[in-house]
Amino acid sequence: MNTGDARAEILRSIRTHLEASKRHDAVPSASDSAVDSNHEASLPLSRQSLSETAVAEVIQVFKRNLEAVDGQCVVVHSDAEVEETVKRITEGREVATPNASRSDLFKYEVGVTAAQAGIAETGTLVLDSSVERNRLVSLVPPVHIAILDASRIYPTLSETLNALHSGAELSPAITFITGPSRTADIELTLAIGVHGPQELHVIVVQNKS
Amino acid sequence: MNQLSSETFAENAKAALADDQLRDALRHATTLFGKRRSEAAASLSNWEDLRSQARAIKDDVLLHLDRYLETFVQNAETRGAKIHWARDAAEANAIITRLVVERGARNVVKSKSMTTEEIHLNAALERAGMQVVETDLGEYIIQLAGETPSHIIAPAIHKTKRQISELFTAELGMAPTDDVGQLTSTARSTLRERFARADVGISGVNFGIAETGTIAIVENEGNIRLTTSLPRTHIAVMGIEKLLPRFADLDVFLKLLPRSGTGQALSTYQSFITGTKRNASDEGPDELHIVLLDNGRSRMLAHPVTRQSLACIRCGACLNSCPVYQQIGGHAYGSVYPGPIGSVITPQLIGIQKAAQLPYASSLCGACREVCPVKIDIPRLLLHLRVQISEKQRNGRTKERLAFKLWAAIMTRPKLYETTAIAARLFQRWFKLPVKAWTSGRDLRPIETESFREHWRRTR
Repeated sequence: MNTGDARAEILRSIRTHLEASKRHDAVPSASDSAVDSNHEASLPLSRQSLSETAVAEVIQVFKRNLEAVDGQCVVVHSDAEVEETVKRITEGREVATPNASRSDLFKYEVGVTAAQAGIAETGTLVLDSSVERNRLVSLVPPVHIAILDASRIYPTLSETLNALHSGAELSPAITFITGPSRTADIELTLAIGVHGPQELHVIVVQNKS
Repeated sequence: MNQLSSETFAENAKAALADDQLRDALRHATTLFGKRRSEAAASLSNWEDLRSQARAIKDDVLLHLDRYLETFVQNAETRGAKIHWARDAAEANAIITRLVVERGARNVVKSKSMTTEEIHLNAALERAGMQVVETDLGEYIIQLAGETPSHIIAPAIHKTKRQISELFTAELGMAPTDDVGQLTSTARSTLRERFARADVGISGVNFGIAETGTIAIVENEGNIRLTTSLPRTHIAVMGIEKLLPRFADLDVFLKLLPRSGTGQALSTYQSFITGTKRNASDEGPDELHIVLLDNGRSRMLAHPVTRQSLACIRCGACLNSCPVYQQIGGHAYGSVYPGPIGSVITPQLIGIQKAAQLPYASSLCGACREVCPVKIDIPRLLLHLRVQISEKQRNGRTKERLAFKLWAAIMTRPKLYETTAIAARLFQRWFKLPVKAWTSGRDLRPIETESFREHWRRTR
């Protein structure tokens, strides 16, 4: 089997069939121009431009939406408070950090990571794998604690996507997390924590400047 | 359960209608999904705009599919992904089997993918001696039971927790329980072991982003994240139509897909994978293979009506809204893709002769068109396919054609119509119309004793 042939043949088939469809397309398709117009309009708001009241509002929206999907959210104001909160949640259980070795990962009960951004309108965490080794620590242990800088919470999904793609290169693995793992595959009964964490705690750090 | 065929749709449907447990489960599921969908749609003020935008984006992709594919491939390859092209199911299975064999792999974990169901990948891998395990809870259940999915997003919707408990007791040695949490955690711990020793992970793809070479995969359970993070090799199987031009286009589709499917504002996890890891010490697979599958898709581009089929994002909303699906469920369609969208995709994928009953498995009520997040005109597509079928069967339907000729002759002559109606009314008790095909599943109302014209003359 020659893959080169398959590529050429599929592309040829696409072109031939599109050509054949032209005689059925009574009106020239408007879609060529339909797409680009709407998108450029919603350029990323510079996240830093939000006023202090707007930041407080964004945090509240984030918290409310996260709690609506069974996530837990605490807002703190100092590093000491972060440490205290992590201690309270872990209750002496063994904690995996992004440096944990892969073979040990399945033994830990709690995983702690940072979140590189948040989305207020959905209560979502954004984890970027190029920043730290967060893919498995945030996924394998039954409890995930994420620490999120309040200034990195974007109001909307659209702004978040634009911000992620504003740089030169997308990170090889970006993960959006909205609440703990869930399924309703058995009689549509909600079960929390099927493959991923059963508990998700987000510590939002709002530093007073 | 035996694999049902699309060719026996009528018999399959009849059997499903007699299954009370199935119909209870379907009523519950389709009502709940339908309610959640409409609430989720209503929560956004610009729902209709989003649908139009999504469709415009998909139309653009489909009209320039060759260019977008080439851009996607180039961007994915630049970032380390290996691209494979598969003309049909056999070629895709051969490519994937070869990849797995070459790596000396034995254990394969899979996340839910309708495309891999379409090509019957599991059977192909098992023939090559692989241990393949489905890791989505619903898919895992039906794999253990030796069945096929009955709903695009809730594959085990037809099974009760009692049946699942019996299955887990027999297959996994679990103590019987009717606690869904217990069933779920049993599956979790069994599958954890399989994940820990998996060599290869196979996933589907929800969206491929042309400008970045990214694949986006959407889920709630976390098994897709495990499948795409733990094994050394990740193989993603993707229909050639799954592209979006820009990363920013995800905004529209991530708003529409979860709301239309489960009614969530966003599914729990989205994985955006762009090529392979940049440093050997980073987490994640060493290799990413993307298998691009045609399997009849490029043929659908040949007409604007059929081309719409390729805009589908597999949300399942049309299944839940369909009065036919609501009664018979997914298995009766005898195909991988059930419901209204299945009735239009299946005949185009496997050949219209093998699925000639499916375009008729609809009352053309239009409920599917109302809920479709990408505005696919499914009733129009069904009619388009019916025309093709009836043209093929031109000679085999002389009785039906004769009946319609007679009907037309009567309906265009008022006097003849009136006398025929009176005769029909008088003699209907003694004559049985040759319409058993219709009346075996429905009632035929008797003709009223007074016609509208007579009523009008008498009362005005």
